[in-house]
Amino acid sequence: MRLTFNGGSREHDPAPDDTAAEVIRTAFGATGTKVSCGAGVCGACTILVDGEPKVSCLLPAAHLDGTSVTTVEGIGGDHPVQRAFVELDALQCGFCTPGFVTEATAFHDRWREDREGVPSREEVADALSGHLCRCGAYENILTAVQKACAGAFDDREPIPARVEAPDKVTGAAEYTVDVTLENMLHGAIVRSSQPHARVTFELPEDSVRLLEGDIVRYTGQPIAAVAAGTLEEARKIAHALKISYEPLPSVVDPDEARRPDAPVIFDQNERKNAPSSAEGAGFPARWKGNVRSGYPSAWRGRTARKRLDAARERNAPGYFAATFTTAGQSHTALEPHASVADWRADGLTLYTSTQGLGHIKAAVAKRWSPPKVEVIARHVGGGFGAKLSLGTDAVAAIELSRKTGHPVKVEMSRAEELTDTGYRPGTRTELRMLGTPTGGLAAISLDVAGHGGVSTGSMVATLGLMMYGRGPRHFRDRDIIGNAPPASPFRGPGGPPFAWAVEQGVDEIAHRLGADPLKLRRTWDGNLRRRALYEIAEELPLWRERPIGAQTGRFRRGVGVAAANWIYTADVDTKIEITVRDGRIVARTATQDIGTGVRTVIRNAIRDVFDDAEIVVELGHSGAPHGPVAGGSRSTASVGPAARDAARKLADHLDGKPVSEAEGVTVVGQRPKDKGGSAVPVSMDHMRIGRGLAGAVHMTEVEVDTLLGHTRVLKVWGGIAVGTVYSRQTARNQCEGGIVQGIGYALYEERITDPRTGVVLSANLEDYRLPGIKDTPEMTIHFHEDGWDHVPGGGIGLGEVCTISVAASVANAVFNATGFRPLDLPIRPDRLLEGMPR
Amino acid sequence: MTAEYRAGGTDLMERRASGRSTGHIIDLYDQGLRSIEPTPDGGFRIGAMVTVDTLATDPVLAKAYPALSKTAGSLATPQIRRAATVGGVLLQKTRCRYYRNEHYECLKTGGTGCPARDNPGERAVVLDVGPCVAPHPSSVALAMLIYDAVAEVDRSPSRRVADLYSDGARDHLLEDGELLTAITLPPPVEGERAGYKRAISRASAEWPLAEAVAHLTVRDGVIIRAGVAVGGVAAVPLRLAGVEQALTGQPPSEELFTRSLDWTAAFPETAYKIPLAETLIRDVLTQAL
Repeated sequence: MRLTFNGGSREHDPAPDDTAAEVIRTAFGATGTKVSCGAGVCGACTILVDGEPKVSCLLPAAHLDGTSVTTVEGIGGDHPVQRAFVELDALQCGFCTPGFVTEATAFHDRWREDREGVPSREEVADALSGHLCRCGAYENILTAVQKACAGAFDDREPIPARVEAPDKVTGAAEYTVDVTLENMLHGAIVRSSQPHARVTFELPEDSVRLLEGDIVRYTGQPIAAVAAGTLEEARKIAHALKISYEPLPSVVDPDEARRPDAPVIFDQNERKNAPSSAEGAGFPARWKGNVRSGYPSAWRGRTARKRLDAARERNAPGYFAATFTTAGQSHTALEPHASVADWRADGLTLYTSTQGLGHIKAAVAKRWSPPKVEVIARHVGGGFGAKLSLGTDAVAAIELSRKTGHPVKVEMSRAEELTDTGYRPGTRTELRMLGTPTGGLAAISLDVAGHGGVSTGSMVATLGLMMYGRGPRHFRDRDIIGNAPPASPFRGPGGPPFAWAVEQGVDEIAHRLGADPLKLRRTWDGNLRRRALYEIAEELPLWRERPIGAQTGRFRRGVGVAAANWIYTADVDTKIEITVRDGRIVARTATQDIGTGVRTVIRNAIRDVFDDAEIVVELGHSGAPHGPVAGGSRSTASVGPAARDAARKLADHLDGKPVSEAEGVTVVGQRPKDKGGSAVPVSMDHMRIGRGLAGAVHMTEVEVDTLLGHTRVLKVWGGIAVGTVYSRQTARNQCEGGIVQGIGYALYEERITDPRTGVVLSANLEDYRLPGIKDTPEMTIHFHEDGWDHVPGGGIGLGEVCTISVAASVANAVFNATGFRPLDLPIRPDRLLEGMPR
Repeated sequence: MTAEYRAGGTDLMERRASGRSTGHIIDLYDQGLRSIEPTPDGGFRIGAMVTVDTLATDPVLAKAYPALSKTAGSLATPQIRRAATVGGVLLQKTRCRYYRNEHYECLKTGGTGCPARDNPGERAVVLDVGPCVAPHPSSVALAMLIYDAVAEVDRSPSRRVADLYSDGARDHLLEDGELLTAITLPPPVEGERAGYKRAISRASAEWPLAEAVAHLTVRDGVIIRAGVAVGGVAAVPLRLAGVEQALTGQPPSEELFTRSLDWTAAFPETAYKIPLAETLIRDVLTQAL
């Protein structure tokens, strides 16, 4: 076939099954076009064919014959849409950005030709409705496209809101999936087709064993990995590999797995090998069959239970007991887990899509002891907790490279990604609460069973030790082990399911006592930062004009509120190195930007000292001085103070002279200690838990179509108390993304595992539904910046606290609108229709 | 394994990747079939390779067949609509989670059982017309049914679009090697109005839990012609002739549009779809007024 590609002439002879995306990325080497879902759902692969945006992952390459194709690289970099994306921060991790930019330029160009003025939000959202952004940067995308169409960026250079934005809007940003090395092979994973079995197999050449022992415990469990010249060949060999299964009794469904006669998945000796979904050590526990019960975390636990029992007996008005459930939630970063390993005699280079390159480096060194290790993650297309540890992709790539002597790339398909790269465990919560209108929370008890497949470590109930004062309380966490893939940490582990139950509980008690839910929280909640947020929230027109009492009519509007907190952590060993190179300030540290804006936090902290110097931030290499893992909301409070320290050291060195006078000078900044020390005076893997809790309050307005069971989120106000904000634009963007993800959790996202075979049925982006641009509400983010003076820099991270209470606020709004208390998440239309009072 | 035709590729390419299609491909890309021509009786003949986006946006078609245009504009995403074709959307394969998952065999993959029947979930059919319990995926077929569209097939006589289906065991009744080349629509009716709506969780870009399409022609305060079809409820696209008859000859009113469906749900999980379909019918009839 012959075509025009980004203005040049190309010839190529595609195979019948080749997709346009494959040919563009591989044969034409234009990796700006991303492949994410592979099913035409997410739009990351959108290209212009004769000016028309089409998804290239489903477009047969042969259909490009005779056409003119434009990819993000062909748009250049000065298009008004690209400029608007750069200045208005219309992106986070950037993996979906080439698709959005490509579609939006086509929309923009058509609009400017045919129409005048500014397109409405709805018009822009309709045009972009075939694109998904897992980070949830939709609000800024809508604004950017509107402003570009209005001509605001016709003739001026943008001021980047985010350091790396220019690379992300042009397709220049290189992600792990874009890395190609000379003589590189491709790896594919051989996975179990059975939920529980003893396996035997013989490995062909160029393959490695991944399974430890000979028992598989879930469908989809990695058994081996094979390498070949192309991914198709590798997948063929993997598919053909004969595995003999000797089936063992299995149980997938948690309700069956908890029964005393259920087949036991880990016997006594094997329990310690069960993977954990907890961040860190997990908690001690007792096993009985497939039920692993933690020890109760209690404060006057006996009193709590006595009060609750008595309240139940006498039908106390402030007593509420219910069983809440949440579905498993898949992280679904748009860049899949991927690694390229290059094992050589003198050491290993590992390109990997990770949230913790320093952590990966240490794990690799410990496991394989190569002469040296370099881990590289220039850009990371989202993580959300799923990319914290050494995954199957990295292990397989390293082992295969060592075995074959070639660099090897291993990239998860979307089905693999949605099956076996972790998820937020599903939960079943028994909640009991007793509240009084003025006297506070009299007692609370939670018993939470986590459904994390073969993994342990669900921690939900225990988070109750941090909320609502010091009233008597009794909490217990359990894991119900089943033959399903293991869970992993997910943005605020345990937080959203905790809030789903407890924040609905507070709302229900307020309703039963006839109290204002915000005032009741303010009475119960001793946290000063959150109390400040309640006071602001109470004055919002959204709250003051909320509907009260039962409504009639088909469309009902409701407003709900929910609160959250989260621990404050920092990597206390973080160092930022600053070198003056070519007159510019170059900052380095061994961390990575997964879309949270950590580069920008570093730049802004340095800019506070050098307000007119050119600042370059180089991240993504493990060879730089120690930096934080992008997890536990710790990055900002780690790099911000260290960067400022480095900048001040350079300023001291310069003593008033211009930066160019220090060419070649290097200084290293360290993170100063917190005033008054930390909450826990020991570090775990460089991390320390500091004093104080981050706070959030979310207020959400919904409209429910009571006949179609459809819930539309109209408005969300997010109050965030994390102290000084280093980078306002990227912080607001992340908070908006937290709201979008919370809406997805509340309404759409549902991991579905077949109860008999253990096959994950929601293994594509049609069945696993992410929130889209048309689901984006109007959002207002308010930062309460007081109260963190003991922290160097005066501010902490917000990545987790900004999403935890969103789903519960949606549920409370649905209750306010309909009188239906959604106990089961997600609030699907069928559940709403069946549950609503008639 | 037999050969499969490839039109826009939006269904086939996904099945190639998942292993559900392994035979030879005959690409229709350079076979023309892209024209829209008026017919001698005043109707239109639409080539099988015309895109869904064209159905949705062509101003002549939108005026002549508003129910078709509205349906086409509501499905999938803009980028899919620009690639997907008329022939492809009528003959696409089921979206059943089990069919689309390489771990399973089912009646439509040459297997013997239906794994979905044991675990139907909220997306399954209401009316159990055949062995398959997944709803038929084609929204455009619903609109074609209520326009009495005719399908031209290369190796056999033309037939009504309705006769492409009516067998819950297969997604369509064309034999291997038969090619749908065009759809012919009868002459448009002056003054017709239409409505389309789908029930989904999100705002767009989602396969419907249920969907409905209708057209109405009102003259002198009386409905002289009505077309109503619902999707998401059976393994075939379903035209509601009884509802159409009940509407015809009556003055339109909310009461008239409130139809109660005399259905029994095949599964408790899908019972909610009956009131859902009733609401959608009332909504699309109201839109069509």
